[in-house]
Amino acid sequence: MKDLLRIKSLISTEIEGLLNQQVKKEALSSSIYLSMASWCNRNGYDFSSDYFFKQAEEERHHQLKFYKYILDMGGNAISPEVTGIKQEYNSFREVFEEALDQEISVTQSIKNIYARCMKEQDFVTMEFLNWFLKEQREEEYKARRALELFEVIGEEGTGRWQIDKHVGQIKYDSEA
Amino acid sequence: MITTTTTTTHWTDVFKTSAGAIYQCDTERCWYVDFGGKVAKFDYRCLLKLRKSVYHIDIEQALLNTTKDPDVEIIFICACDHCYVLSLLQIIALKELLEGTFVMLELNHILHERLCSIAS
Ligand SMILES: [Fe+2]
Ligand SMILES: [Fe+2]
Repeated sequence: MKDLLRIKSLISTEIEGLLNQQVKKEALSSSIYLSMASWCNRNGYDFSSDYFFKQAEEERHHQLKFYKYILDMGGNAISPEVTGIKQEYNSFREVFEEALDQEISVTQSIKNIYARCMKEQDFVTMEFLNWFLKEQREEEYKARRALELFEVIGEEGTGRWQIDKHVGQIKYDSEA
Repeated sequence: MITTTTTTTHWTDVFKTSAGAIYQCDTERCWYVDFGGKVAKFDYRCLLKLRKSVYHIDIEQALLNTTKDPDVEIIFICACDHCYVLSLLQIIALKELLEGTFVMLELNHILHERLCSIAS
């Protein structure tokens, strides 16, 4: 009896399901960042607003990367429904705290997919995920660095204005 | 001279229960589902859709449902030619048949992988 499942698709149903969950997660990240961009803009933090606009676009790009991979492997990519995006924040700092939380949860879920791939010996998907693991290094670094600015600059006086200015300059250029 | 060509499509049993059976046809790369008084052909996409819609039915909820609606579910699959109108008992039986089938297909997949790694 032929292995028809394998002929039709390179990835297993489980991996396909996890990847579709990740598509949704990236879409959620993108919407969250877009909302943050709006909040920062409305409150006078223009550099941070730009920073979040860029992040929103990057997340959309991640979403499409997963989406196309599922299709290329013979799977069924599902366009996700994204609801319940928070629109208001209590403080400038809270925005960055939640941005870091979001990145940490994305790293965690990519690690979970990777673990499943190892169990199934799905080396093809593991290789695909390597790019994202490296990307998360950068994403977490930037989010952490932004929060660090609140510590080193301080929010008193023109502090928040300074923080905003420096958020626009955050870069990650590790060669490692 | 007259030549008669007989195309014998060979069906392999994948899984059988007292309620029905599913066969695989390698040449056509599809499955035949013998259930509910008919034999229906499913390709890969449609078989997955059938599985999804059957697994999706909340049997417990339907059992607890005390309204006077008839206990039938209509399983209609997009872009497939078949449609099932089944009672709750039949749905349970179809679910069992599909679960067994996918375990066997998974097993077949594992065997193929092992054989490949031995052969190379
Ligand atoms: Fe991302
Ligand atoms: Fe990110």
